[in-house]
Amino acid sequence: MKLTVNGIAHDVVSAPLATLLDVLREDLGITSPKAGCEQGGCGACTVLVDGEPQRACLTPAASLEGLEVTTVEGLGAPESLSPLQQAFTHHYAAQCGFCTSGMMLAAEGYLKRGGTDDREAIQEALAGHVCRCTGYVKIIDAVAAAARGDSFDLTVTAPSAGMTNLGGV
Amino acid sequence: MKAVGARLPRYDGIEHVTGRTTYVDDVRVPGTLWAKALRSPLHSATMSGLDVSPAEAMPGVHAVITAADVPLLEYGHLSALGIPADEPLLAKDEVRYKGQPIAIVAAEDEETAMAAVDAIEVDFDERPPLFDIRKAFDADAPKVHPWGNWYPHFEGEMDRRQIRKGSIDEAFDRADVIVQGVYRPAAIEHVPLETQVSLAVPEANGRLTVYSCTQALYFSMGVIAAHLQVPLNKLKVVGGTVGGGFGGKVDTASETMCALLAQKSGRPVKWRWTREEEFLCSSTRAPWHMEIADAVTKDGWILGRKMLTLHDSGAYARFSPYGLTKHSFHHTGAYTIPNLSFDGFVIFTNRVPTTAMRGFGVTSVSFATETHMSRVANVLGLDPYEVRLKNANRIGDTSPNRIVYTDPSTVSVVKALAGGMEVELAPEYAAMTRDPREGDLLPEHLVSQMADPEAH
Amino acid sequence: MPKHTGRGIAAIEYPTGMNQNGDPSQAWIKVKPDGRVDVFAGTSDIGNGSKTIQSQIVAETIGVPYDWVTYDNSNTDSSPVCTGTFASRATFVAGKAVEKAAERVKERILDIAGKELEIDPSDLEIVDGEVLAKGAPQKKIAVPDVAAAATWTYGELITGTGAQLKPYASIVDPETGEVDLPPHSAISYAACAAEVEVDDETGVVQVTRLVQVYDVGRAINPTLVEGQIEGGAVQGLGLGVLENCYPYYPSAEHRGGQFGSYLAPGFEDLPKIDTIIIENPSSDGPYGAKGIGEMANNAQPPAIAAAVFDAVGVWVTELPITPERILRALEAKAEPVRDGKRVVFDSELSVNAVSQGGIAFEVPA
Repeated sequence: MKLTVNGIAHDVVSAPLATLLDVLREDLGITSPKAGCEQGGCGACTVLVDGEPQRACLTPAASLEGLEVTTVEGLGAPESLSPLQQAFTHHYAAQCGFCTSGMMLAAEGYLKRGGTDDREAIQEALAGHVCRCTGYVKIIDAVAAAARGDSFDLTVTAPSAGMTNLGGV
Repeated sequence: MKAVGARLPRYDGIEHVTGRTTYVDDVRVPGTLWAKALRSPLHSATMSGLDVSPAEAMPGVHAVITAADVPLLEYGHLSALGIPADEPLLAKDEVRYKGQPIAIVAAEDEETAMAAVDAIEVDFDERPPLFDIRKAFDADAPKVHPWGNWYPHFEGEMDRRQIRKGSIDEAFDRADVIVQGVYRPAAIEHVPLETQVSLAVPEANGRLTVYSCTQALYFSMGVIAAHLQVPLNKLKVVGGTVGGGFGGKVDTASETMCALLAQKSGRPVKWRWTREEEFLCSSTRAPWHMEIADAVTKDGWILGRKMLTLHDSGAYARFSPYGLTKHSFHHTGAYTIPNLSFDGFVIFTNRVPTTAMRGFGVTSVSFATETHMSRVANVLGLDPYEVRLKNANRIGDTSPNRIVYTDPSTVSVVKALAGGMEVELAPEYAAMTRDPREGDLLPEHLVSQMADPEAH
Repeated sequence: MPKHTGRGIAAIEYPTGMNQNGDPSQAWIKVKPDGRVDVFAGTSDIGNGSKTIQSQIVAETIGVPYDWVTYDNSNTDSSPVCTGTFASRATFVAGKAVEKAAERVKERILDIAGKELEIDPSDLEIVDGEVLAKGAPQKKIAVPDVAAAATWTYGELITGTGAQLKPYASIVDPETGEVDLPPHSAISYAACAAEVEVDDETGVVQVTRLVQVYDVGRAINPTLVEGQIEGGAVQGLGLGVLENCYPYYPSAEHRGGQFGSYLAPGFEDLPKIDTIIIENPSSDGPYGAKGIGEMANNAQPPAIAAAVFDAVGVWVTELPITPERILRALEAKAEPVRDGKRVVFDSELSVNAVSQGGIAFEVPA
């Protein structure tokens, strides 16, 4: 089966019922999509298939002949981070990082569809992607900033809106 | 200051956003076998006739371990704190919770491992389980644990954690009102996005490298070493980058089994729990049952608190006695209450053993005592900020276990909260500080609990 | 109008460090020939950012830029003991160990710089990777040059170790619980206000706003502190209104084994979160820091319970506060039992009602 991942064509031979997640992680050594639940419930396995976010754990590998898959490695590399990757870095949208690649690809899909910095719209677009560490606030901050086309100083991180430091009281 | 206080980027932030962060399941070691567990389908049963030979005989199966394979079957993770061992690494002769691991298989792939687990033979004789901690003390309650239904090894072989201070009878006698309530927070799951996982690799020099999702490399290394009866330098625990823990990855739930399988098979072995196992078989936050009676005055002083806590430890002790002790130390919360009578019990039930989770021991007591505080304010018809400020810890006050508060911030945080909520405090409350009590803030009943009562 | 709003508050405290102490953390640091700093510590980063915080502490303490510091917590061969990442100890206890190790390294750098500059080390300071004479900063030597001198002139490995261990606080009287030493490294305090909207027809509780106040002693990295506060707030919300391993507790049946049946908070549950950070320094934490990670999910459930009462007049004291519990409580309209000066809530939940006498909660009359 011919499968293109991040612009590179692969010839993959996989078991009949293998999922895209299995193929990426085990056959191709692309480990950024995570096996968070393998039930479609958490979104940590989300990748882009022809630009659309899709749960790799629920995607039969056999259905992907001729399609283009993008993982977070395809968004940008450390020396050339994409705007969304910069936004996630600057806004501290990743703590343990385990949900991050799926979360970012879902966000990328949202932005590609013309998503704005409207926080409610972002929440709706990312619903179904579970994060246990961040409490979601900074993820929304990051996606909103990317939607706005902000530029990012990567030597610092940004405060959340609604944050006050009273010093010694 | 250049670095401290600065909003510097996360050390591993770039790795996270480029998919480069390596978690245990991302480590690739050629020849790695998949592990799967046979788990108890019953809440409570005696077990007999365990026969793993059908699994061992299956093509593609490289090793199966049971209780018989563990050099030291029971090791108390907190034995250094006086909590004796009570939990077998793998079940032997009985199962005490649904999901308890009985045998673990290491095979070429996941499907073979699952088939091998299904082939294992075992017989169960079901027993009635105990789930309601309030009924643990009943004469006809099912017996869960050889120690009895509650932990008997607190200091001095006491069967409870006890706090006593001042005179509870006097406090209740003097009170204008006594407010009683019952508080029952639930067991919840840690839900880390990364499930329990470890990978044990046997090295040519006889060491074992164990890739672990543990929150505590050395703690887990000690547990593995104890069960395997090896010195620490026979192990190299690799980790430090965890996909969420929240207290659920201290139990060393998979590492020792992988290590044993790696030793037995001579191959690397990985055990990654499914999300279903994580939800149904991993340790949880404990359910708690707390009853509080506060003796209060009309004008909002809390003269005394009597409290009963039942903590649901599940089938084994794990860290529960430690958690209950911490809970007892903080049962007055952010306030100074001079007369105390606390009794807490660690109860055994046929539930998945409970463990630490964010706030361990104190989350429960904060829920109970703070909801209770709101009720007290409501019953007395007093402002909830004022009641809290009045009873707030101050410098020189003492804690339930007679430690002096040197720099408490109750007043600061409550006043800041009022500010944040745009609530205007009455002047005498707005003027309050953490300074030592005096005048109206030092009624007679609070004098004896001061660190230096002679000074007053 | 079936939707009612309410607000409630809570104020809490939480200890930093393992209860009763006795939990060591250790670190060691070496300096490369070009002055870059390698830290070896055993603290697992579970997302809390301990790698970041400890690196910041080292950079600050020695006086070098943050990006000169590499941090390795990856394995037990190279890293020394850290009891673990729990009990809110990663910044205070483990951070103290790296701070001490960094202080030793700074001493060595100043000593060698002193030899090179022929100035007494006590008259030198390190700023931004340069060793400067206090009051005469034109007399200086870059830290990389000091490291080179150590390697090729003096034959020294610039290294420092640090260990933090607060002595175990014993319970001296098991009957009273009295301890002989403070059983913690510090105590942090927090307060929370919750605003809720309760629908009295469906019973659904929507937490619309959480105002959080935390005294963290010193925010080593304010962004990471916010991350803890926000993450904790949503977990506290989950504990308060959503999550339950045993939906029919105490029965163990019908447990949720998937994300659809176990209700972990999602984007749709997110309230507005306002955060206020206070810095009242601890007396001996690194740069005055106190712990925050664990307490971050403690204040929300009681604030939410009080807010629910404010909204619809019922106290639900079994968590989570589900729609079913709200509707049952609204139907029951239970009043506390009043008996003399006693006001007794929830008597049907008490051990006195449920047990057969093996345990009782007796209140002095």
